[in-house]
Amino acid sequence: MTLLSDTRYVFIRYIRKLVRTPILLFFSLFQPILFLVLFTQLLTRLGNFPGILPPGVGYLEFATAGILMQNAFGSALQSGNSIVADIDSGFLQKMLVTPMSRPAILLGRLTSDAFRVVIQTAIILGLAYALGAFVTTGVIGILLIFFTIAFFGLAWSGISLALGMKTRSAETVFAIGGVITFPLLFLSSALFPISFLPDWVQTVSKFNPVSYAVDACRVLMINGFDWGTILPAWGVIGLVAIITLSATLYQFRKVVS
Amino acid sequence: MSDIITVKNLVEVYSDGTKAVDDISFKVSEGEFFGFLGPNGAGKSTTIKILTTLLRKTSGTVNIAGYDVEKQAAAIRKIIGVQSQETTVDGDLTGRENITLQGHFHQMNGDEIKKRVNELLVLVGLESAAEKRARNFSGGMKKRLDLATALIHKPKILFLDEPTTGLDPQSRSAIWSYLEKINKEEGITIFLTTQYLEEADKLCKRLSIIDVGKIVASGSPKELKQEIGADSIRISLANCEKDKEKAKELIRSLTDVNQILDSEECLTVYAKNAGLLIADIVRALDISGIQLESVTFSSPSLDDVFMKHTGKRIRTEELVKAPSRMFGGRRF
Repeated sequence: MTLLSDTRYVFIRYIRKLVRTPILLFFSLFQPILFLVLFTQLLTRLGNFPGILPPGVGYLEFATAGILMQNAFGSALQSGNSIVADIDSGFLQKMLVTPMSRPAILLGRLTSDAFRVVIQTAIILGLAYALGAFVTTGVIGILLIFFTIAFFGLAWSGISLALGMKTRSAETVFAIGGVITFPLLFLSSALFPISFLPDWVQTVSKFNPVSYAVDACRVLMINGFDWGTILPAWGVIGLVAIITLSATLYQFRKVVS
Repeated sequence: MSDIITVKNLVEVYSDGTKAVDDISFKVSEGEFFGFLGPNGAGKSTTIKILTTLLRKTSGTVNIAGYDVEKQAAAIRKIIGVQSQETTVDGDLTGRENITLQGHFHQMNGDEIKKRVNELLVLVGLESAAEKRARNFSGGMKKRLDLATALIHKPKILFLDEPTTGLDPQSRSAIWSYLEKINKEEGITIFLTTQYLEEADKLCKRLSIIDVGKIVASGSPKELKQEIGADSIRISLANCEKDKEKAKELIRSLTDVNQILDSEECLTVYAKNAGLLIADIVRALDISGIQLESVTFSSPSLDDVFMKHTGKRIRTEELVKAPSRMFGGRRF
């Protein structure tokens, strides 16, 4: 199947680029790590007030799931830049004049995004572990967290890829990405317990897909295999992914033809 | 020889109404080194994009090696190699990896790729830089690498869109010699576009001159120049203003002079056998006491041909700026 082998080669290309530009990994990990190490320190006393955090849960443990999501946002946004770079440099055209499978161009990019986000997630979970927060559900739980974050990352790559192909501007992708990302993160259960937030934020949070994805990772870290939280999260992420990846596909068709 | 490219009444109208290609027809036979010579915006790149399946034509027919460009695009992509105007090598990959990747996209098997990559590295003289990242290559090396990536699958036809634009003269002549070698030794048909007169003259066995979307003349460089029918003699006088009219009169009285025009240096004389005429001109001016500064003789150039058909000269900026990069430098 040329689709599979072509996807593989596109995937390898992006991974090579990533490994050879470690500074990019560093920058996209910098912010989540800053949050993990410093921000959580600012709020450690939150646990002293009863009724805010679940009993027996420290703020670090609580916030890790949210920080994982922040990390997924960051790397997903770079995805759109990569497609802009390939269009600008003519590399996309160079691929298009070969008989290679067209969908492989996108699939290779998306799988490399997913792979990257998993690696970053592993780094953050490792660091969280060193700081004293671990995943109660063990290896299977970690794998499920990987899956959830990668899935979420793909849904978000869809936005940046579609934007990148539409606007052909890396700056725009970053600007719009930044504008979307932070409100979504703050207006969700990512960094604070939902009951701690004002009513209107609680309402917004219920419609915010980020909350669902965070909750799924959080229960896997803290509580256990709570499928009643995990499955709906996958459903919501799937819904977002369908929308964003359709937009990506639509823009890709326009670029390709 | 049989025709490998046949284009009939090709038209490309952009969505904003610009007619980029305006009803052109031409043929290229197998093994030929064919070129499009024209200034920026003449429609050269647009034509290449259509022929290489990247852009849909508005109307007309395009047949590449027996395949219809729209109905059988997939078959065409297997047998063509394309080097676009931008140098498209991946700076994060090494020279070898760049070529290998293209081999994979052409569904070649591993051993076959390895062997061919080594051949190509030798062909374009990049063996010693093969394991270095292309980011660190000079402009000329990148172009050569780009050329190698386009040749990985031994294409039947190689499309080159301004392959030496922006290169220094040395790198340019290196590319020229690789291209001649590829055409001769591998028998690959080459379709090249260029805005450089010298490039078209040196490489193309046959060429079409294109301007504002139309082909204005076709033939071998020699045929096209013969069409002009006259050499030119550029005369510079010590005191141009004072002696010009008298000099004109004297030269006009000589036999075989076609035309005398005012020009930058002072006068330009067009004549059939200018070589023989020079002595007469020098003698005539000397006898009348008109002091000469210099006399230059030249055979017609493709620029004269372009001038004859379009009424203007191809003005190429010899120092072409590198395409400007986007703000922010490296992107990923």
